[in-house]
Amino acid sequence: MEITLEVNGRTYSIAPAGRRLLAVLRDDLELLGTKLACGEGACGACGVLLDGRPVNACLLFAEAAEGHEIVTIEGLSTGRAAAVQAAFVAEDALQCGFCTPGQVVSATVLLERTPHPTREEIHETMAGNLCRCGAYPKIERAILRAAGEA
Amino acid sequence: MTTRFVKTQKEMEGRYEDVWALVDESDETTSWKPDADLSLVGQPAPRQDGAARAAGRVRFTVDVKLAGMLHAAVLRSPAAHGTVRSLDLAAALATPGVRGVIGPESELSLTTRAPLLQAEPAYAGAAIAVVAADTLEAALAGVAALALDLEVLPHLVDMQEGLNEQRFTTDPTDEARGDAEAALAAAAVTIEFALDTPAHVQTPLEPHAAVASWDGDELTAWVSTLGMFAAREELAKAFGLRKDAVRVRTEFVGGGFGAKQGAGFEALAAAELARITGRPVRLVNDRHAEQLDGGRRAATRQTVRLGADRDGTLTAIDADAVVAQGQGGWVMPVLIPAQTLYRCANVRALTFPVKTNLRAQNAFRAPGVMEGTAAFEQAIDELALALNMDPLELRRLNHADVDQVSGLPYSSKQLLACYDRAAELAGWATRDELRKPQPDGLLRGMGCATQIWWGGGGPPSHATVRLDADGNATVITGIQDIGTGTLTSAQIVAAEELGLPLSQVRVVGGDTGPNVYGPVSGGSQTTPSVMPAVRSAAAKVRKTLLQLAGDVFEIAVEDLDLRDGRIRSSDGAIDAEVTEVTGKLGDATIDGSGSRGPNPDGFVVHTFGCQIAQVAVDVGLGEVRVERIVAVHDVGRIVNPLTASSQVEGGVLQGMAFALSEEFIVDPTTGVPVNAHLDDYKIPTIADMPEIIIDYPHVPDANLPTTGTKGLGEPPIIPTAAAIANAFAHATDRRAAALPLTRARVLETLA
Repeated sequence: MEITLEVNGRTYSIAPAGRRLLAVLRDDLELLGTKLACGEGACGACGVLLDGRPVNACLLFAEAAEGHEIVTIEGLSTGRAAAVQAAFVAEDALQCGFCTPGQVVSATVLLERTPHPTREEIHETMAGNLCRCGAYPKIERAILRAAGEA
Repeated sequence: MTTRFVKTQKEMEGRYEDVWALVDESDETTSWKPDADLSLVGQPAPRQDGAARAAGRVRFTVDVKLAGMLHAAVLRSPAAHGTVRSLDLAAALATPGVRGVIGPESELSLTTRAPLLQAEPAYAGAAIAVVAADTLEAALAGVAALALDLEVLPHLVDMQEGLNEQRFTTDPTDEARGDAEAALAAAAVTIEFALDTPAHVQTPLEPHAAVASWDGDELTAWVSTLGMFAAREELAKAFGLRKDAVRVRTEFVGGGFGAKQGAGFEALAAAELARITGRPVRLVNDRHAEQLDGGRRAATRQTVRLGADRDGTLTAIDADAVVAQGQGGWVMPVLIPAQTLYRCANVRALTFPVKTNLRAQNAFRAPGVMEGTAAFEQAIDELALALNMDPLELRRLNHADVDQVSGLPYSSKQLLACYDRAAELAGWATRDELRKPQPDGLLRGMGCATQIWWGGGGPPSHATVRLDADGNATVITGIQDIGTGTLTSAQIVAAEELGLPLSQVRVVGGDTGPNVYGPVSGGSQTTPSVMPAVRSAAAKVRKTLLQLAGDVFEIAVEDLDLRDGRIRSSDGAIDAEVTEVTGKLGDATIDGSGSRGPNPDGFVVHTFGCQIAQVAVDVGLGEVRVERIVAVHDVGRIVNPLTASSQVEGGVLQGMAFALSEEFIVDPTTGVPVNAHLDDYKIPTIADMPEIIIDYPHVPDANLPTTGTKGLGEPPIIPTAAAIANAFAHATDRRAAALPLTRARVLETLA
């Protein structure tokens, strides 16, 4: 059975076959920026936006995403997201870069909801995005920079 | 051009081997002076690939997709020890979509790493069989169809039990200088301190992964590895191929921290299945497999006895370490801090590598030395307490002016400057103020620890620089950039030497195809090994370019200089864009190759540092909060302060988690790890991070070839846990018998 998914403003017909949204994005749509790191909803590397809300694509069944607007890292290249990405580069808020797409997704949503976040608000919102390289001090600085506060 | 062989020593994480190094004696670069007028080296620069990383456009091994590619799934032992009674390979092969199956009894074409698959798995997670299929789902169905029948055998996972039964992976070692026993007996002050350190899992977010594809007898393998040339060597040997018939590609690695060495099981199994099926094969660990079988820092049980004179002079060090090796692996140098950190004539170091039913332990950032420092530097603090001395003062007093094992001088050592700077930044002088009652009811304290590590690098390491008509340079290296920013450091060094802006220099790596050798990304050796080779290659291009400029402008080469992308004559008559010369190249290029010369004889090359931690302890909850870490490390010249501080922050956070939250827990009854997932193996989050203050002595190592740089991968993780534990003791007057300082352990310790 086919379903219709709207991803980054384009419409796709796919056969979910019981798979998670992440598998469909990566395997069928070749949107490889979104990463699988734990498959357990524990790390945030698979973060995408569903109607503007961040969700773990490794947990969400693809079928459940039908009728919703999905945005992946590939669809985040303008406006606030671009400012976040530029700040991540300038502050070196990434090392290996594997968790970075998920970090950028979460940081973009954070700034959309809270344009001038405090450190505590950054910590609370970003705590679901693990970075094993330990770029956290610079992720915090990058978010403050993108908010125009550093 | 005079190319010579020089016999030298190659060091990797404290193991030395004699090697012949290929050295180009026409290399005329000399070391940059400490006060050299450098325009790019030492200035912060964002990564050359930062924008692509931030946009999710870079491709890791897990992102490789090839036409007709099969997906592999691995059957792993559910038990700590067992023997396979039956395995239905035929049923797996008959599963729809399955194209190939290998098990312990299969005849394999590869000749090494035998046996690749285990008929008698000796740890939970050991690979028993691999299935390759059109989809991952089909491969998993094939694994289920194998219907493993495993007879469970007795296991041993407790290191004390292993020691009692004298089950060792290799013979225990007993290293001594002087007479520690007699010196302890004669010492005015003695202390004894024992510590258990936890197993610590690297946990790279990109798991071990490989994609293998054959074209006739030529193999291309994308491998998530820290050493693509080692992977090439391993694959060539395993399949009986010429080295140039194997191409390994490792452009981006999603973290490794020591775990991803060589080709690994993944590339070997993927290549074997690709050979059998005639299709490319992808093998990627799922998270559970990664945590079970990706590797770990071994758990240890250490005891340190120290003896000192009344004035604090160390007279005796007697240390022993039981190391839970798992199934084997090299024995990490746990007692190196005891043997080398301070001046002491009487030292004994006993190491017991115990064999347990876990995967063989492997490298995790500063293997051995980090867990050894966690125990030894707490013992030093205990001695300071017994002597009623300032812990930092005791460390200064026992400063080792020369290497304590060989007696040789250090190539450079700025440890005393690190102590001074760290103390100043942390407010050490007034640290006892923290122990006064606090309005928030928390107990506060401050502790320090010293760091020692190798990190001098050495040959072999090579680089090629190619300058084109547009004045753009490409630096071809054999580096896999695992997130350290090494490619960007190479860009800075090449641009500095070429006198070009960063925007005109691009560094490529991640491919053994060009056959420009770079070392494994490990042991803090990449930067000090690669940068001199890059500089040497760039210097040759610069020299040729100036010669050509002399031809174009009809002026003596000696009168020309190249800087900021312009060629200028000393009399000011010529001030031209580089392209006025390179533009005449047409489709030709100016090429230069460089190699890393040997380190000088007669010196020991080490890195040093000091970290100071400030913690707050909630005695009701048992929670330890690290408020601040000051990290000052002597690693010679800093090439890129932006990425250097990222390395330090990452090391500190991993060290902090080792002290507070990370512990790989094995159920003693079943022998099976119980927290091999990301939701229960607690790596730090952004909410856990302390303030991290970083500095360096900024003294280039004048005895190291041409760039004066040492490595920075390992140093920052080494002293963090010890500094935190010492701060905890300062705050609470108690010392835990084990790490990590989880709430339960803290409450137990304070009870």
